[in-house]
Formats: sequence, C-alpha cells, structure tokens
Amino acid sequence: MKLRTYKYFFKESVKSIWRNKVMSLASIGSVMSALLVIGIFLILVLNVDYLAQKLESQVEIKVHLVDGLSDNIIKDIQKEIEGLEGVKEIVFVSKDQALKEFSESLGENSYLLEGLEGDNPLSDSFVVTLVDPRLAPKVTLAIKAMSNIENVVYGKEILEKLLDITYFLRIGSLAIVGILFLISVFIISNTIKLTVFARRREIGIMKYIGATDWFVRGPFFFEGVLLGFLGSIISISLLATGYYFLSRYIEQQMFGLLVVSLMPFNEVLNTLIVALLIFGVIIGSLGSMISIRKFLRV
Amino acid sequence: MMIELVNVSKTFNNGHKALKNINIKIDNGEFVFLVGPSGAGKSTLIKLLLKEIDPDDGKIIINGKDVTKLKRREIPYLRRSIGVVFQDFRLLPDKTVYENVAFAMEVTEASPKDIRRQVPIVLSLVGLSKKANLYPNQLSGGEQQRVSLARAIVNGPSILIADEPTGNLDPDTSWEVMKSLNEINHRGTTVLMATHAKDIVNAMKKRVIAIEDGTITRDDMKGGYGI
Repeated sequence: MKLRTYKYFFKESVKSIWRNKVMSLASIGSVMSALLVIGIFLILVLNVDYLAQKLESQVEIKVHLVDGLSDNIIKDIQKEIEGLEGVKEIVFVSKDQALKEFSESLGENSYLLEGLEGDNPLSDSFVVTLVDPRLAPKVTLAIKAMSNIENVVYGKEILEKLLDITYFLRIGSLAIVGILFLISVFIISNTIKLTVFARRREIGIMKYIGATDWFVRGPFFFEGVLLGFLGSIISISLLATGYYFLSRYIEQQMFGLLVVSLMPFNEVLNTLIVALLIFGVIIGSLGSMISIRKFLRV
Repeated sequence: MMIELVNVSKTFNNGHKALKNINIKIDNGEFVFLVGPSGAGKSTLIKLLLKEIDPDDGKIIINGKDVTKLKRREIPYLRRSIGVVFQDFRLLPDKTVYENVAFAMEVTEASPKDIRRQVPIVLSLVGLSKKANLYPNQLSGGEQQRVSLARAIVNGPSILIADEPTGNLDPDTSWEVMKSLNEINHRGTTVLMATHAKDIVNAMKKRVIAIEDGTITRDDMKGGYGI
C-alpha cells in the first residue's frame, strides 16, 4: 500500500464525515458517552485499587492485653511477639496513652471523654508492624494463642471490604461497559451504512474499473476509526479536566481528614489515554467492519 | 486468442437457461458486434467475461487465463485488463470530466505523474480535451458516453466491452461514439459491443455474433444485423 492511498482514504473519510454531519456527530457523541462511562469506572477501579494498596502497606496488628497485668508479664509478652517470624517492630501503647491519643483525635469533641481519666475503659496494647502485610493472618493467629491476650485485630475488615468493592465495581462496570460498547458499535455501523448507501454508485464504478476490495473498503474503515478516535479524544479531555479539578478540590478541602489521597493525576491520565484511545479505535473499526461486511460485498 | 469461450452454459436460479453451450473465439484487435433481442443472453455473456457471475459449465479464457478459476482477490486485476462502458454512462456527477477519468487510474494506485500524462491523451482521443473541466451534467449524452469511453481505456486495457453504448443516444451522437470506438479499435484494443442498433451494425461492416434464446445463431465475419 502506498502512502498516497492512505492519504486518499483519509481525505475521503473526512469528506464523508463532513457530508453526514448529523450522523457523524451522533456517532462521535455515542462513542464519547460510552467512553465517559467506561472512563469513570476505570477511574473508580484505579482509585479503589490504589487505596487498597496503600492500606495494605499500612497494615498493622493491634494486640489488646488483659487488664491489670504487671510490667514483667507485659515485657514477656513483648519478647514473645518480637520472636515471631515476620515481625518488624513492636510498640507498647499504655491505656493512658491510648486515651490521650483518642481524645486528641476527637479534637473539639474531646470533652466527650472528660471524666474518664480515673476509669479508663481502654486497654494496654501493642502495635505490631510486619515485614510483609500478607503475614498478618498467620502472626495474628500466633499471638491469639498466647496467654493474657484479650484480642487481636488488624485492618483485615477494611481491606476485605475494599476488595469486595473493587470486585463489584469490576463486574458492574464490565456489564455496563459491554452494553455501551455494543450500542456505540451499532451506531457507528449505522453511520457507515449511510455512507456506503450514499456512495453506492461510486462503489459500483470502482468495482468495474478494477479497484481491489481493500481499496473500496479503505475509506469506510477509516471513517469508523476516525469517528471512534474523535469520540475518545473528547471523552479523554473531559475526564482529565474533571479529574484534575476533583483531585485538586479534595486536596485543598479535605487535606488531613483523609488517610489516603486520590491517585495522582498523571498516573490516572496515562492509563485513561491509553485505555480510551484503544477502546475508541476498537469501537470504530468494529462498527465499520460490520457495515462493510453487510453492505459492501464487493 | 484474446477471448475464448468453450462450451459455456449458464442457468439462473429461477431455472432460466440464459446461455446454452456457447463457443466463441475472438482474436487480438477484432471489432465484434454482439446482437440479439433483449433477454437473449448478451448481458449474461458480458457479466461472465467480467466475472460478475460464473458459468455452470465450460471455460472462459481471457488473455490466456481461465477466468472461471480466478480467485476472488484476482478479479480486480482481470477487470483492469477489460475496459467497460454501459448504456447509462455511470459517471460520477460531482467530479469533472478530467476527475472522472483520473479516478479510474487512482483506484489502480497509479502515480500522479502517470495520471497527469495519461488523462489528457485519452481525452483528446475521444475529442473532449476542451471539456475537461466541465461536469457530466454540462455535457450532451454523446459526450458523456465518450467520457466513459475515455475512463474505460485510460488504464490501457487490451479489451473494451461496450454494453449498448448508444442505447440512450440519438443517431447523430451515436455516430460520435462509434467513431471513438473505432479509433480505439484501430489503436489495437479488442472491442466487443452488445447492441440493438441495426443501422450502426449494418454500416460498420464488422464481425457480428447473434445470440437468440441462449444459443449462437449466426457468426459472420463481415455481416449486417440480420433480421
């Protein structure tokens, strides 16, 4: 294939997009809205994954001790835990310390805890950090087996909930993305069908003067790809702008309130661009191929 | 031998026997009229030569190749060796005369240089050099048909097939087209023309093959239209 043939394909496809302005706009719009939804789900999944990862790296085990233990027993327990495989660090937090921290974390509302100093309901505890968060269940079990332990908790629940959310997000987005994908393919193929219909005379003539199949089909294929491409460019710019302002807003308004922030803009942008461009071009080429097969038996 | 049909038969799905055991040989550079009433099988014969349809039986040899055995993707190259014009001209209304002719070269991916050289040559051959920048609807029927002739020969085919090229034209403009066809034939292109135009066939004194009801009823080297 020669370069000028591609130029010809491009020129012809731009011409017919221009000629069928209304249908072309409708196709671009439908690809765009499909990709917008796909992109929003993608951003959600990315962020939940990001959050899960961050939390996972922060996993620590809280070991609450039975009330009223002597310092020696507490030291023995500390030594025993230190000896467990996978334990990186162990810090003792006395119940007074815990109450103080709790009251600090409440800020203005710390008055709620006033009067508890004499009758502290919290317990002495250890905060155990691990070499590898995946060891948490094993270490937890080992600690539970020791004596004088009231209970052992780690961020398991939150982590598992997050993973559940990601799972449902993925299933849900897959279904919605699938439906939107099919709709946009259908609309594109309809647009191409109109172009084929408008140019059936020309196609007939091309057949008689010895144009090869791909030469006849080229402009229509390009048209579909171009429509998909334009749709994805628009949706990428919309999503990128939206995400940029959202993440800035969150950073400014809620700084300090959230443990973890949104995924950085640049990382999201890269994934978005690659994924949505590929999606858009696939939608466009599938749509045009369907029309070409159905209406362009050359 | 340019075109050779050996025992060619074609029956359509509705049971109509369009061609029955046809044998034809056409030499290099011949000018042949294909005559016969409507529905006799002339169009079927032309469609077979262009491989729009395939015969049920027999061989069709064009330029030494059996076209019944050609693969789908080889058909375009067969058609580049056969120029074709139709009764209804089939020009593109939004392209000028020049662009219509150049289009035939563009689809074969000819270089722009070759196109710029070749198109004026064929336009002058059919006497339309001065109308190169007009659109088809600004031309008479005869002129439009000569544009389609120019388009048919611009890629230098060895065979030109004309399916009732004067069918839509009055006698005077018909003769303009015939003059161009004759000129093309003199330059070495084999011409096969299906027609109803009795006076043209009689005046030209060329070979005449008559088809009736799917069989060849006459093949005269210098014949007239007949009855």
